[in-house]
Amino acid sequence: MANKMKKVIRIVSASGIPEEKAMQIASAFAEHFGYLNTDLDMSQEIDTSLLGGIIVYFDDKRFDYSIKGRLGYISDLLHKELQQISGDNVDVKDLLKEQKSQLRELVDRFLKTDSDKTSLDFLWNTTPEPLNSSDKAAVAPGAKSRSDGDSVPVVDQVYIDEVGQVIRVADGIAYVAGLNNCMNDELLIFSNKASGIAMNLEEEQIGVVLLGDIDEVQEGSICKRTGHTVAVPVGDSLLGRVVDALGQPIDEDGPITPAGYREIEAPAASVVDRQPVTTPLYTGITAIDAMTPVGRGQRELIIGDRQTGKTAIVVDTIINQASQGVYCVYVAIGQKMSTLASVVETLRQRGAMRYTTIVAAGAADQASMQYIAPFSATAIAEYWMYEQHKDVLIVYDDLTKNAQAYRNISLLLRRPPGREAYPGDIFYLHSRLLERSAHLSDTLGGGSLTALPIVETQSGDISAYIPTNVISITDGQIYLETDLFFSGQRPAINVGLSVSRVGGAAQAKAMKKVAGSLRISLAQYNEIASFSQFGSDLDAETQQQLAKGKSLNEILKQPQYSPRSMPESVILLYLATQGAFSTLATEEVHLFALALTRYLQNVHRDVLKRISDSGLFADEDQAEVKRLCADYLPQWQQEQLVDEAD
Amino acid sequence: MKVMNMANDVQLQTELTEIKQKTVKYTYKGSVSQIVGPVIDARFKIREMPKINEEVLIERENGELIACEVAQQIGNGVVRCLAFEPTDGVARGAVAYATGSPVKVPVGDGVRGRIFNVLGQTIDKGGPVTAADYWSIHREAPGFADQNPEPRALETGIKVLDLLVPYSQGGKIGLFGGAGVGKTVLILELIRNISQEHGGYSVFTGVGERSREGNDLWLEMKDSGVLDNTVLVFGQMNETSGTRMRVPLTGLTMAEYFRDVKHKDVLLFIDNIYRFVQAGSEVSALLGRIPSAVGYQPTLANEMGALQERITSTRNGSITSIQAVYVPADDLTDPAPATTFAHLDAITVLSRAVVEMGIYPAVDPLESSSRILTESIVGQEHYRIALKVQEMLQRYRDLQDIIAILGMDELDPDDKKTVTRARKIQRFLSQPFFVTADSTGYEGRYVTIKETLRGFSEIISGSTDSIPEQYFFMKGTIDDVYKDYKEHHV
Repeated sequence: MANKMKKVIRIVSASGIPEEKAMQIASAFAEHFGYLNTDLDMSQEIDTSLLGGIIVYFDDKRFDYSIKGRLGYISDLLHKELQQISGDNVDVKDLLKEQKSQLRELVDRFLKTDSDKTSLDFLWNTTPEPLNSSDKAAVAPGAKSRSDGDSVPVVDQVYIDEVGQVIRVADGIAYVAGLNNCMNDELLIFSNKASGIAMNLEEEQIGVVLLGDIDEVQEGSICKRTGHTVAVPVGDSLLGRVVDALGQPIDEDGPITPAGYREIEAPAASVVDRQPVTTPLYTGITAIDAMTPVGRGQRELIIGDRQTGKTAIVVDTIINQASQGVYCVYVAIGQKMSTLASVVETLRQRGAMRYTTIVAAGAADQASMQYIAPFSATAIAEYWMYEQHKDVLIVYDDLTKNAQAYRNISLLLRRPPGREAYPGDIFYLHSRLLERSAHLSDTLGGGSLTALPIVETQSGDISAYIPTNVISITDGQIYLETDLFFSGQRPAINVGLSVSRVGGAAQAKAMKKVAGSLRISLAQYNEIASFSQFGSDLDAETQQQLAKGKSLNEILKQPQYSPRSMPESVILLYLATQGAFSTLATEEVHLFALALTRYLQNVHRDVLKRISDSGLFADEDQAEVKRLCADYLPQWQQEQLVDEAD
Repeated sequence: MKVMNMANDVQLQTELTEIKQKTVKYTYKGSVSQIVGPVIDARFKIREMPKINEEVLIERENGELIACEVAQQIGNGVVRCLAFEPTDGVARGAVAYATGSPVKVPVGDGVRGRIFNVLGQTIDKGGPVTAADYWSIHREAPGFADQNPEPRALETGIKVLDLLVPYSQGGKIGLFGGAGVGKTVLILELIRNISQEHGGYSVFTGVGERSREGNDLWLEMKDSGVLDNTVLVFGQMNETSGTRMRVPLTGLTMAEYFRDVKHKDVLLFIDNIYRFVQAGSEVSALLGRIPSAVGYQPTLANEMGALQERITSTRNGSITSIQAVYVPADDLTDPAPATTFAHLDAITVLSRAVVEMGIYPAVDPLESSSRILTESIVGQEHYRIALKVQEMLQRYRDLQDIIAILGMDELDPDDKKTVTRARKIQRFLSQPFFVTADSTGYEGRYVTIKETLRGFSEIISGSTDSIPEQYFFMKGTIDDVYKDYKEHHV
């Protein structure tokens, strides 16, 4: 049986070649590869787009002798040249401006229609492998014979690719036969530019999860290896851009010229490559900066039902990074594109897009894109951390959708379901992602990646599977509650269940002084408040505790897009704990706080500056703030009366 | 296409590769036939197949070797292996080397002060390790005759534990809790308190937890000087399921050496044993097993038993183990924590309801239990106070519904007294920790058992009735309460 195996050979040509010549080529191939006694099943196809020459498919390989392949190779070379020239080096840029435009013209001519070309196209055209002498001798008869009669040119270089063929395709998963050397997680490219990730390498076939445009992948489609896992473009040119999960731009600002590529899966910094979190990352939201502070390199989960202001918190945080020199990456997973558009618009209006990259895998995108989007975004962010030693903030909005997308893929690959039908490795999906956030050790040059993942709960159930998984990965969580949201406490943070495990170490001394035990005392206040609401006699101290808790809660209310700087938060919290607002009615506290911060900004900037520069809240500053507040209070009350009179 | 070099320390990478290449002493060669996630099938000649639990090295496309362990022999010379490293870059047809033995890790005095991965390789860049011996991570549990059944209480310095769930020297203790209720903080405080008070050797095994915590622990131990008597073994949550499944064995093997050969009393901390079960369930389906309840592996009880039975005290020496047990979805009936219960001498349950009240450590005093809380072991006085505390807390819990509907005023005077004292007890059960001084703003306190008993007996007897409950919050001894109260009422 072994020596009578049937070998399939497929020859594609631009215009068709005579049968006997085709047979000649086929037998030359068979001979060269040592299939002497094998029956050949030869078939021919015509593809005019080759322009000239032939492509031979034989033995899981693709031999490209076509003009199209040649042109593709040339344009690939030119493109690489072009990318190098238009890199970040300014001097070279000026010098080569002229050459650049010439090159672009050339490339454009080769590519003809080039607006929709993406970098993936070039993967299809690979570097030619010159045949070694013995190969040449074997194939030459076939090649020569073509040059005799018809106009097909002699080809002495050939592009050899390893190819496989789709045998089954459904629901975004293709099963491919062939590709014997395919690696696990390797990126595969299909003939129509679609791509996929090899996820199950089984004995007879490969389960490939398709990415992007999948409609064209059909039974019989050819696919080839790329030799690497999925990689995305990285670099400063991504700032201000909106890209998809493969790093390709989806906004209207033209192509991206990356500084390089990074594979989307990368090992996290190990135990000894890290250092403790020491620098705060201010969100501009008093409640968070005081009670659940976030440090650079920390992972702080934001969790809550839908419509409780989760995205509002991260948008505020991104906006607040303008003055802190932190680059931001915002990943939208499974969101409405219209929601995303409004987020981007908000960021643009407030000047935050300068230092922000948006990675989007919308609700209409493939599950596979929603699955890899956070990994791609992390690779983009890691570039700035590892290569430029920057502080980077990444927001995953949200990981629930990501988990669902992964569940979708896993079930289609027939991996067995566990709790809530999620696959067994759903924890590993998020743990390996979030572990990539780190504060790098000085030996690695420093730099940090701070993550704010978002998880959506169903009717407040914080103890569901995905929420508890992610809580157990992150360094703390900010829990938003519907009840608080509608009772006007915004941001609607549940103080008792929110915690930050490392941020405290990174807090400025000034903040620590006023907020040290704030979270625990507020949680105690809430407990006493609910215990004492049935009118039992309260001693004076308990009443005092209740009053203090109330005005603190008022101070923690903060409208969107109005970040408070660290000194402002410190001063307001200090005044509230000192009972400076006790003469005001509950609803007035919030208004007065706003007016007071404006007053301090306009008239007494020096106090704010002192606190922010030194990071300390000295006793004399405390006294001064108290005095300023006491002075301003009657003035403000006067103004209020005038306003009412008007 | 240019793919950038991953930013890991290049030197370390080459070092590892070198180490691996040196150790390719193989018995037989085979080839990879299938790869599904972390599970790799390799085909050998029938008589050359590696045994179950044997280490197999598989070559990546770039020449690196990744370590695997044989989990099954599935017929026709094919073995199914679990990879200890990510399998990307492995192709079908890659060479598989059978090494002829299970994973062996260094043991002996030379491992103290070092950090290891699951394979027993150091990851602290501190040069080669001087090992007394190399032991296989798969070992037999001590037999019946070797067991040492004599329990003795171990002081932890944490009031709620010493009073209500006393830990036993040489016993096994579980800290149960859902996500974010403070298991790791409690375990860190225990490490601090016990290893500083008790001295001796400790082994800390990080299983599927945060790398950042590993780093914090390492630096802190270095600073406090306990690192020299400690071995750290990490297989954290960013590592493959194969690693997380085997890393408890690596740590345990090192502890066993100290117990069996050096006759020491060893402390073994495992954070978090649930991740061991979870890793098993991640690979179970890929190994071709039919899933059991809630998607767990059918072999859950056996896997847990094989590990837990090795963690025990013998006549040679003792292993006191403290294990954090994550409770998925806050569900204590989940098969993983439920299976763990049976193996433990003391059970400390941390609860979200207590966290919400702002009380740390968030130990649920009525869910937690200890086998040694008996008159004969802890003594009559301790036993009486503990029982009384439990009784009062239980009474308060019973009355809570009534209070919620009718208010405190409707209770009879006796119950009122019980409720106010119980609320003081609740608050006095909280305690400031050394390891969280930074984030809570409270200085840490170590409380001896004697002081703990005195404090609670005074609350029970009513001698503190005049002090409002907030003064009991986040205090060390009862004297701290008096002191704070006096400062506010001069």
